Amino acid sequence: MGNEIFINIFEDGLFAAIAAIGFSSISNTPRRAYGACAVTAATGHAIRYVLTLPEAGGMHIIAASALAAFAVGILAVLLASRIRCPAEVCFFPALLPMIPGMYAYRTVEALLLCLYHTQEETFGHYFYLLAYNGLTCVFIILGMVIGATIPVFLFKKLSFTATR
Amino acid sequence: MTRIATSSDRESSPAETAAFLADYASWLLGCGATCIRIEKNTLRMARSFGIGADISIMPSHVYVSAWKGDDSRPQVVLRKKHRGAINFNLNARLSRLSWKVSDKKLDLPTAIKLFDRIKETRPTGKWETLFLTSLANASFCRLFGGDLAAMIIVFLSTVAGFRLKQIMLEDKRDVRLTFLCASFFSASISAGGSIFDIGTTPEIALGTSVLYLIPGVPYINAVSDMLDGHYLCSFSRFADAVVLTACLSAGLCAGMFLLDLKWF
Repeated sequence: MGNEIFINIFEDGLFAAIAAIGFSSISNTPRRAYGACAVTAATGHAIRYVLTLPEAGGMHIIAASALAAFAVGILAVLLASRIRCPAEVCFFPALLPMIPGMYAYRTVEALLLCLYHTQEETFGHYFYLLAYNGLTCVFIILGMVIGATIPVFLFKKLSFTATR
Repeated sequence: MTRIATSSDRESSPAETAAFLADYASWLLGCGATCIRIEKNTLRMARSFGIGADISIMPSHVYVSAWKGDDSRPQVVLRKKHRGAINFNLNARLSRLSWKVSDKKLDLPTAIKLFDRIKETRPTGKWETLFLTSLANASFCRLFGGDLAAMIIVFLSTVAGFRLKQIMLEDKRDVRLTFLCASFFSASISAGGSIFDIGTTPEIALGTSVLYLIPGVPYINAVSDMLDGHYLCSFSRFADAVVLTACLSAGLCAGMFLLDLKWF
């Protein structure tokens, strides 16, 4: 059981790292930053995975995302000066695998379906999906970005002198 | 031995300095830097040139006002945001330039020369990006619980959709239309998993096949700008990201509708 959880955490971190490297290439991240992006993403995603596990208390995805993003922010600030890049170069690609893309387009899908259905009960169902997915998406993003930005402001000197 | 010219060698006029700083800020804005970074970098260089300056960042323009001594007659320069894709490499190099100017007390002509060199920065190779993005999206599929078959489907549909996006953007097509077409293309290909019943999680393959199009950086920048009090830029970035998300959702829905797949 414990072994299985450990493998799952490792797998989650590994795939998050691959995703971070891939998505950082879309944003033209310098190659020397790929390693830092991978480490930050793997740590952040693995932390969120552990926090949301029922065995670890099953924290809500919004709070878990904020805490994981805080860890991502701290790691990004520490690694940024090593690779001589702004901290956001590290933490943006690391946060991308945590962006609730599923919630975002389910919100728009639900909106389209609301417009498509006129019957009160069906409309109510899709309106519920619209509100649920929309609110979850907005608060996950808010929690993540606030969580990751706090370390940048806490260690302002370190963050803004990384490229010095 | 060559000697680096410093700001004390030659006095720069506020007009020249404002023009350079506005160009610099417009490039930073164009490559996806946050407002706080644009302000800090620009004003750091202004201080180093011995010029008083202020900057106003709008969603698609930047104003730089520069003065010497008395601020009653400032020179104001307006520049349109530089059109380009999000580029963290450029962001890092421009940030390093601001520190170089400040620490080595470089003069304005030297700073302009270095800035011109940075403008030549080449983006990441398109085949490298295509491969890494497809691999990233397949990993995304795994993170959402997809099996190996779903990962392969997502990889192939991302290769097709992302290549279409690259071709359309190279062809200067509208970015919203590009997102809609790429999403439609990827969704239609990944729908094969549901239609031919491949693997155990075809619905996850379909759902994740368009996630590479989610504009994550503008969403994150929007919140960062909001925290810093740049509400106009924040709202603009958020609206841009929402429009693109709506386009990719519309492409996905169109693909599902055309192939007669069940929604939700």
